[in-house]
Amino acid sequence: MTIAIRATDLVKSYSPGLRALDGVSLDVTSGEVLVVMGPSGSGKSTLIRTFNGLETLDSGELDVLGVRLDAAHEERQVRAIRERVGMVFQQFNLFPHLSILDNITLAPIKVQKRAKAAAEQRAIELLDQMGIREQARKYPAQLSGGQQQRVAIARALALDPEVMLFDEPTSALDPERVKEVLDAMRQLAQGGMTMVVVTHELGFAREVADRVMFMDQGQVVETSDPQTFFSNAREERSRRFLSQMM
Amino acid sequence: MNRWLDRWLTLLLLALIGWAGWSCLHWLWRGADWTVVMTNLPLYAVGSYPEAERWRPLLCIAAVVVLIAITLFGPRQGGWRRAIPLLWSGMAPLGLWLLAGGLGLAPVGTQSWGGFSLTLLLTAGSGMLALPLGVLLALGRRSDLPVLRGSSTAYIELMRAVPLIAVLFFGQLLIPLFLPPGVELNRVLRAVLAFALFAAAYIAEDVRGGLQAIPPTQREAAMVLGLSPRQTLQLVVLPQAFRVALPSLTNQAVGLLQNTSLMAILGLVELLGISRSLLANPAFIGRYLEVYIWLAAVYWLACTAMALLARHLEIQLDPVRSAR
Repeated sequence: MTIAIRATDLVKSYSPGLRALDGVSLDVTSGEVLVVMGPSGSGKSTLIRTFNGLETLDSGELDVLGVRLDAAHEERQVRAIRERVGMVFQQFNLFPHLSILDNITLAPIKVQKRAKAAAEQRAIELLDQMGIREQARKYPAQLSGGQQQRVAIARALALDPEVMLFDEPTSALDPERVKEVLDAMRQLAQGGMTMVVVTHELGFAREVADRVMFMDQGQVVETSDPQTFFSNAREERSRRFLSQMM
Repeated sequence: MNRWLDRWLTLLLLALIGWAGWSCLHWLWRGADWTVVMTNLPLYAVGSYPEAERWRPLLCIAAVVVLIAITLFGPRQGGWRRAIPLLWSGMAPLGLWLLAGGLGLAPVGTQSWGGFSLTLLLTAGSGMLALPLGVLLALGRRSDLPVLRGSSTAYIELMRAVPLIAVLFFGQLLIPLFLPPGVELNRVLRAVLAFALFAAAYIAEDVRGGLQAIPPTQREAAMVLGLSPRQTLQLVVLPQAFRVALPSLTNQAVGLLQNTSLMAILGLVELLGISRSLLANPAFIGRYLEVYIWLAAVYWLACTAMALLARHLEIQLDPVRSAR
């Protein structure tokens, strides 16, 4: 069992005295699906954004796929990691001036220097896998939210990442579009992808997660297997959160 | 009661407008003497360019007109369409070569350049220098480096605080001081340079507006895919920023064309300069109206062409609209 991400005592504050991350430690093993839950402002987004260097740390040690990303990390180190760690955002963040196909092939061609034809073929495969092959020539504005998010997943997968990070991927979607995105993620998990997912989708967490981590005020409150967490959470704070969610 | 008053007022106004329109038309057809324009059409087109070489600026104007026509009304698909940006970028060096000569053509000094061909050259030349400079200034003003940000901001604010005509005079007087002794920049080049330095400040602000309209999440999304900061700017941020800034940039381009008329004061014989020298000719004394109406028509035509081109470009750059 190899460790994909190891975080030790991560600290990060945006303004003095207010810690978004207040000594967070965790391990993510390869092939594991870790779901991170918690009220808004608990630091869960900040946490996964440190995993690919979108946020810098004040202190602590972070090892992502064998690369150290501590407080003094350099831009080049981070870029080496970003090709191997895919990320999906709440707001999709597709490039509106590029077609769906160009959105997906941009990084493989420009960053990984793959041949255009090969990159496009791979993109079509990924779109097929996401069930939206026929949208390849369209532009993001012509797609529904759920379709856009699936394109965003395909775009991240096109770099063949070893880890996928999801930052509330269904929070900006209409309720009837949530399922299609969760299905795509479920399929990915079944394929053995290492995933860290920040989400409020209890059903997804219960069904797909190997472990659930609950955060509050920048700290890890508890980490349990989903069955324990949802039926018999150890901490009072987790139980209170769950009772508000259900 | 009121209805009667309304009717009479409407009729009265219609009669006034009709009378004004009719007398204008009557003057245009009967009263005006267009010989001042008709006999000097070559002068308007090419200025005092040597007679034997006149085909060169004329060819230059014709090429621009044809290119505009192809762009606006030409085929919407296929090889021609893809060649159009290439043709446009080849236009400026071609025009410069045709006007200045060299490489097999007899050289013609800038003192004999004039008329519409000079106006075109001044607009295109200063615009093409000002655009990259403006983009750099806009990026500089948003930079994290305090020195770069400060100097870009200072430059932009300074240039916007000084009237164009002052910048043009400064350009004529100051630019020679910066050059090493022995290097002469002629009047046209100095004017183009000063004009570009001025326009760049305004373009910078338009581009900055475009840059600000792009949400920071776009930059994040690009970085997460491993794109370098430079690639992020080139492939993701700038293309979108230009699309946003295009309407204001069009405004600048039209302003640029019209402001070239200020160069008449520096003694350049572009459209306005030609007009002024014609009016000083005893043969055409008092023909102010004819000359200025003609001048207005030429500028209007040129600006309309620019506006149409800009709208065409806007549609081209809007992926969803151009896909339809």
